[in-house]
Amino acid sequence: MTISQGLSRRNFILGSTAGGALLASGAGAQTVPAPINDVTGGATFRWIDSGDQKAVFFKKLFAEYAAARDVNIVYDPLPWNEIARVIPLGVRNETAPDVFVLPRNTSLADAVAQGWLQPYDDFIPDIETWKAGFPTGAFLPGINVFDGKTYGLPFTSNKRYSTHLLYNKDYMEAAGFDPAETPLTQSEFREAARKITEAGKGRYFGFILGGSQLNRWQDAVRNMGRMAGASAGGDSPLDADIDLRTGDYVFDSDEYIAAVELLIAMNDDGSFFPGLMNLNAPQARAYVPQGAAGMILQGPWNIPGWEAGHPEFDFGVASGPVPDQGPTGKLTISQAGAVPNTISLWAGSDNGAIAGEIFHYLGTLEGQVAWGTVVGAGDPPIMPEAIERAEFSPRSRFILNHFNEAIRVGPNPIVRNADLAKVISSFTAPDIGFARTVQGLVSGEMTGVAKEMKALKDRYNAALDAAFDKARTEGAQVDRADLVFPNWDPDVDFAAADY
Amino acid sequence: MHLLHILHRHRFAYLMLLPGLILSGMFVFYPIFAAVFYAMQDWSGFNADIKFVGFQNFVDLFRDPIFWNAFGRSIYFLAGTVPAQLVLSLMLAMVLNNQLLKLSNLFRTMVFLPVVTPVAVIGIVWTFLLSPFNGPINGLLLDIGLIARPIDFLGSSDTVMPSVIGVYVWKWLGITLIYWLAALQTVPEDVYDAARLDNCKGLRLVVLVVLPIIMPFAVAITLITMVSALNVFPLIMSMTNGGPFFGSEVMEIFIYRTAFASDDGTIPRLGYAAAAGVLFGLMILGLTILQSLATRMARRRAEGVA
Repeated sequence: MTISQGLSRRNFILGSTAGGALLASGAGAQTVPAPINDVTGGATFRWIDSGDQKAVFFKKLFAEYAAARDVNIVYDPLPWNEIARVIPLGVRNETAPDVFVLPRNTSLADAVAQGWLQPYDDFIPDIETWKAGFPTGAFLPGINVFDGKTYGLPFTSNKRYSTHLLYNKDYMEAAGFDPAETPLTQSEFREAARKITEAGKGRYFGFILGGSQLNRWQDAVRNMGRMAGASAGGDSPLDADIDLRTGDYVFDSDEYIAAVELLIAMNDDGSFFPGLMNLNAPQARAYVPQGAAGMILQGPWNIPGWEAGHPEFDFGVASGPVPDQGPTGKLTISQAGAVPNTISLWAGSDNGAIAGEIFHYLGTLEGQVAWGTVVGAGDPPIMPEAIERAEFSPRSRFILNHFNEAIRVGPNPIVRNADLAKVISSFTAPDIGFARTVQGLVSGEMTGVAKEMKALKDRYNAALDAAFDKARTEGAQVDRADLVFPNWDPDVDFAAADY
Repeated sequence: MHLLHILHRHRFAYLMLLPGLILSGMFVFYPIFAAVFYAMQDWSGFNADIKFVGFQNFVDLFRDPIFWNAFGRSIYFLAGTVPAQLVLSLMLAMVLNNQLLKLSNLFRTMVFLPVVTPVAVIGIVWTFLLSPFNGPINGLLLDIGLIARPIDFLGSSDTVMPSVIGVYVWKWLGITLIYWLAALQTVPEDVYDAARLDNCKGLRLVVLVVLPIIMPFAVAITLITMVSALNVFPLIMSMTNGGPFFGSEVMEIFIYRTAFASDDGTIPRLGYAAAAGVLFGLMILGLTILQSLATRMARRRAEGVA
């Protein structure tokens, strides 16, 4: 397939026609990607991602784009556990989709090293100018740029967290709290759950969480612990639960231990929704608008879903629980783009021209605003200006403002030493990892929070040391000291000049 | 030359065997050999980083407490299901084998119905039935005052295995019932007549007359039921996903989780899972050998009695 660099007459006419048709039809913010490449008509282009509200945007975009460019687009939104099977198998069998998100246990660095992906620089004319439109920290060597070539497209913002409070306003008012006005402290959170459960008299309960979905336990403790003051990252094995000022894990910190103990206490209070341990996250989320549970710690993607699906449900959104005393700690992210939404072009794809046009569009302000307006606060666009200009509901805007307040960009060890990518790909978390340990402690299968969190820290230290050893035997120049940034202040963004 | 002659003479029969042989080769023999091969590799299953490690995976397995716990749970599951399934279905078969019992076919169909219902459907429906929130079973127990608080049948490690065992026995009771009914058909009518003349009935008739005759079948049925009880993957996946906290993780779930569905941050270990699969396969093979030996012994004894 030949790629034209610049705008051919044919493409200009096609683009003008598509744009004109949209203007004439008065279709909302969403437009069709501009024709920047020569695209072969009749081609079949396949795309897999994790769906949810993203699917609403892509289904509409792809239908319009396919019609305008005379191509077939097969879009498959899949749950993460299926992505974990389908993508590796597809790559091995050479039947992978043209564009896909990576399974959660595969880093972009690993996928590039394994030859899964091809760069898309050749499919976006003047790519450097286009990349300059992204915020700082979107494209980083060792993260999504390898040997000067661009591999993953980070088009949604990483400034969000998955355990802010969503609550039933009626129940919360009856319990005597207003979290939107003043965030609940950890003790108030427990008290609210207890009071709501009491008022429910078996018809509804204070707190729900997808207890069979392990990462929900980990995220709840990590974010409550970090807001209570345990400064640590949460994005990759190089920063997750590590205090980057010292390079040490914080699993056994007072803040993490207190967060686990809070969940145990709430369970002992009887404030947990019955059967919570056997619910996955979507099931747990579904119970809240039904009035069966008063509070959930979840992500912003629920907001557009509930507003559309349950317009009668009066719910509030607020910060996750903050410490009883002292200032609220910031949540740290290690890069501007949201890792799970980062899309990549398969090495075996012949449809780079199509991918290039769609990627390009997603990286323009126009595409970003369209994205933000359709997808909402769940996966906010990466460009701050697009967040300003996109249409959001008051709840969505409230939570995006909160994210802006609560989240800071921290140091990213890979930026300082690209060889650390080898450590990520060598790292295997312990069998009984963070998430399982919290689930085990809350369910009563494990006892002794402080002892188990210390043992957890030891297991992670051993796993990380092993990953460093393995990376070194493969020639990487790496050391645990590479994870130490003594000048990091968790309350402010870590800028390029700070490295 | 002699072999070629035989092959040529029966070429049509061998030709007919060929499709089955090819399919078995592809879907039975190849995976078996591939599993043994992969069991000796350190490999995640999805990248090119594959390393021969000999028997290291097996050594690691023997030291892995999670593996042994899963192994123990498989045995627990076996011990919980097989006797209950055998005894209950035999009792039902005795009753339903009675020619005088009207509606016998209706009852047989009712017991058999769960067998033909897809496992995933059974798993999901039972999850709702056992739910502590508005689940009818908890509702009933609360209404009759047997419990004060709903029981989290599938969310507590104390109750999860007995609950899954109960559902499994209910689901597969019908198939064992059919085996027993088939076995009972082999008991000649005149034996019953003779027993009746000797005033032998009830439990004595079963123990002294019927059971010795169906003993060879009993051995086979027991071992088929045992092997089936080690294949519970879809039921447990649809009901508990192996949780809570490994609470219902039997061997198959362990293999699946290790090979394909590792937790966030962990990398799948296909080689390790293959080694666990090989060990598990050997265990089932052992049971099957036991089955054939026991059947042979029982048959000899029955022939000796005759």
